[in-house]
Amino acid sequence: MSRLRAFGARLFGLFRKRRGDEDLDAELRTHLQLLMEKNIRRGMTADEAQRAALQEFGGLEQIKEVYREQRGLAFFDSLTQDLRFAARMFRKKPAFTAVAVLTLAVGIGSSSAVFSVVDRILFRGLPYPDEDRLVSFGLLAPIERDEFMLGASYVDFRKEPGPFEAITSMAPGSTACDVTEQSPVRLSCVLVEQTFLPTLGIEAILGRNFTKEEDRPKGPRVALLSYALWKSRFAGDPLILRKTISLNGSPVQIIGVLPANFEMPTLDRADVLLPLTLDEEDQHRSEPGRVLRTFARMKQGMGVAQAIAGLQPFFEQALQGAPPEFRKEIHLSVRTLRDRQVEDARAASWLLMGSVLAFLLVACTNVANLLLARAASRHRELAVRAALGAPRSRLVRQVLTESLLLGLMGCVLACAVAQMLIRLFVSIAPGGIPHLEDARLDLRVFSFTLGTALVSAVFFGLAPALQCPAPNLLIGRDVRATARNFLRQALVAAQIALSLILLGGAGLLLRSLWNLENTRVGIQTESVLTETISLGQYRYPKLEQQLAFFTELEARLKRLPGVTSVAVSDSLPPSGPMRSTIFAAIEVPGRPLLNQGTGGMVGWRAVTPDYFFDLGIPIIQGRGFQEQDRLPTENTIIISERLARELFPNANPLGQQLRLFRTQGPWRKVVGIAADVKNNGLARDADPEFYLPWKNDPVESLSTAHLLVRTRINANAVASWMRAETNGLDSTLPVKIEAMSQRVSKLAARPRFNAILLSFFAGMGVLLAAIGMYGVVGFIIAQQTREIGVRMALGAMPSGILKMILSSVARWTISGAALGLLGAWASSRLLESLLFQVRAHDPILLGLALFLLLAVAFFAALIPARRAMRVDPMVALRYE
Amino acid sequence: MTPPRGEVLQGTLDLIVLKTLDALGPLHGYGIAQRIQQVSEDLLKLNQGTLYPALLRLEQRGWISSKWGTSDNNRKAKYYSLTRSGRKQLATEAESWERMAGVIARLLGAEGA
Repeated sequence: MSRLRAFGARLFGLFRKRRGDEDLDAELRTHLQLLMEKNIRRGMTADEAQRAALQEFGGLEQIKEVYREQRGLAFFDSLTQDLRFAARMFRKKPAFTAVAVLTLAVGIGSSSAVFSVVDRILFRGLPYPDEDRLVSFGLLAPIERDEFMLGASYVDFRKEPGPFEAITSMAPGSTACDVTEQSPVRLSCVLVEQTFLPTLGIEAILGRNFTKEEDRPKGPRVALLSYALWKSRFAGDPLILRKTISLNGSPVQIIGVLPANFEMPTLDRADVLLPLTLDEEDQHRSEPGRVLRTFARMKQGMGVAQAIAGLQPFFEQALQGAPPEFRKEIHLSVRTLRDRQVEDARAASWLLMGSVLAFLLVACTNVANLLLARAASRHRELAVRAALGAPRSRLVRQVLTESLLLGLMGCVLACAVAQMLIRLFVSIAPGGIPHLEDARLDLRVFSFTLGTALVSAVFFGLAPALQCPAPNLLIGRDVRATARNFLRQALVAAQIALSLILLGGAGLLLRSLWNLENTRVGIQTESVLTETISLGQYRYPKLEQQLAFFTELEARLKRLPGVTSVAVSDSLPPSGPMRSTIFAAIEVPGRPLLNQGTGGMVGWRAVTPDYFFDLGIPIIQGRGFQEQDRLPTENTIIISERLARELFPNANPLGQQLRLFRTQGPWRKVVGIAADVKNNGLARDADPEFYLPWKNDPVESLSTAHLLVRTRINANAVASWMRAETNGLDSTLPVKIEAMSQRVSKLAARPRFNAILLSFFAGMGVLLAAIGMYGVVGFIIAQQTREIGVRMALGAMPSGILKMILSSVARWTISGAALGLLGAWASSRLLESLLFQVRAHDPILLGLALFLLLAVAFFAALIPARRAMRVDPMVALRYE
Repeated sequence: MTPPRGEVLQGTLDLIVLKTLDALGPLHGYGIAQRIQQVSEDLLKLNQGTLYPALLRLEQRGWISSKWGTSDNNRKAKYYSLTRSGRKQLATEAESWERMAGVIARLLGAEGA
């Protein structure tokens, strides 16, 4: 207690120094005078009395010093002293300070910005309690990239959920649902089981979860609202639980509101949760039942591997019922929620984090070099302080204080840099990076920034701190100059190595991007606009109405000025959802159906005749669709070149018959062969594909369709007319109009984002390495001016001097480059999963990076080195 | 020959000051120094200045308090007085000192025997 009190008193003492000093002076003066008076009373003269008093009292100044130390906190005292001193030093050298702080700010700021982007992907916990026990489990089949279960086996499994504490399911994806009351709006609804929220560990902040009764078919109709919807549509009404809303035309009772930070494990948008109403008997009757996304909470202390082992028996059993051609290609899969969510973003995130840290290291190295150069020019000052009795620890502390101060200044500026970069990232980043829109400079990112700044400060401050000179340096030249030069050269070599690694990586990504952007997509994207429309279930419940809408819209768009042709299709290349079937399900006369495996996927689309013209897809053989193919009685089909090769390897495909979908449906006649088109994204191989005519007669739901419009004139003008026409037909429909070229370019957006960022870091890294090189060479020459002068006086040619300097530069440049080559070779392996048609160990690219870096290093060294050639021997010798 | 003057043991000074203030009431630094020399009959070697950091330390711990006042011959001086927690501290320190002194005395006596 008294200790704490003493600490408080001392802390307080820090702030009232002057006052305390005056008090002490007065007190001591009184004491001395009293002593003197006593001595005079004893019969001394005034002089004698004073001398004796001082003697009795002891060293006045020492006492004061001890007193002051006792009064304040010695540590803080000397800290403020150090800080004040450091600030003075920085003020005296504004250029040095500015360069150091800026370098740090860019390095730390970039790290923070990248951290804020990858944090949600790599580090930050998902918003569920004990999230590491949550998994997505089920089957993986060629048609699906995420786990699923089929209803019939799921309802059996949930009775005895094996290795899991709890399991739950939801309908895949979200469905559009319409609020059909005043101010109608299109919402995203998700169907979930009653166990969904409890399994995730989420509780409604208002109201309650579904009950078992509500999760049965024909149960009461109830809904949970998302927090955002509650706030935006109902203004956070606390009495919301008494309300019903009209969803797709029927009233639904609101029973709860989800927490603000709730998100679906699939990251789907969910405005409303509705009960899944899975019926056991129903699922068995319609074996194998509907497709479900299934999630589970593992038992305490259980890992993914154990869960897979525990699921295996059930899986074997469930597979008995699967179609035989599927069985071989189905796997059991259990993934943590995080793994499911981040998927391919993980590799890219680590890449960005790694590269920005390498860049930060280069930046720190540069600052370390700056500090070393300055330390060389102030070793005299430090030596004087050492000679006057400053202990070595005090000097080291002084130097470290300075670097910490630099680090803190860098940190402040870095926050601004990070803020800017985050905004930049969000604006140039492609969709699909999870949580990118949440990236911001929050407390977590700020702590990261501060931590990085402090660690960096210690890192770059350590080199000069450990070189605090001993007092004997006062007498002569710095005998350790060579050692210091060695350290500085090693730092530059490290910079070169790191830059080369960055440059090598950037080269690979850029090359891969180039390949990707120059992939033959197989369609002409210029002057084609796409309009995507999704019709709501409520306003367009009947197939006739859907068909009529698209027919009418097609006709209206055709009448627009500047429009060459209009086509309708249910999906669009080269990416995005498209209908598909398995190769084994296509029947050709005279060929038995495949029974081993699926034979891979075959994609297909329903299109109107102008589709091929609009996208410039050549019909290689036969003809395209005609209006009469759209009649219900016609059964024609167009197949892609590749599908033709696979179905009819030895015959002319034209005029052949085939039957789709495992012999359901009519025999169809092949009327044309279309050129292959990318349909699986840019990087993956295209699936074989066929086209069916978009019929005049409704046979299936057409709620979502794309209109393709080829224009002769400015696409922007046409786009606004298209929007107006659509609104004229139905003003409540959300309309999405995009240029085809933009759609395609978006596919490369993520690789482009990665490549841009890595190139930026590599570029900055090289720039900093060049600055570092320039600084070190200039410094060494300044140190050797005298030696150069002597050599020149003795007849050395300027070119010889240049050669001498450059060859010494070459030595450590090459050792740095060699290290960098090794590093680049090793680290490019990590990039492999992000590359497209580039080998990770591309010697040409690496050679180019090396050449570029060496060229930059050479010129950075040459500029100051040429100065050495112009050294005047007389001036150099007179120096000192 | 005068006996050698001993250095004041670290920590002992605190006890001495506390005891002095306890015996004589509020005193200024000079007064405390005079009292210590008088009582110890100049056996303790005390640089009177070292008293001040000690006084500050005691004050920081809350064992004594100080107040400006005027001395007998009308000089401005800082008067120190014992606080309640200082009195308690004096009791515990005196006790532990006596115990210690007793132990040492026995130790020395045993050796002498």
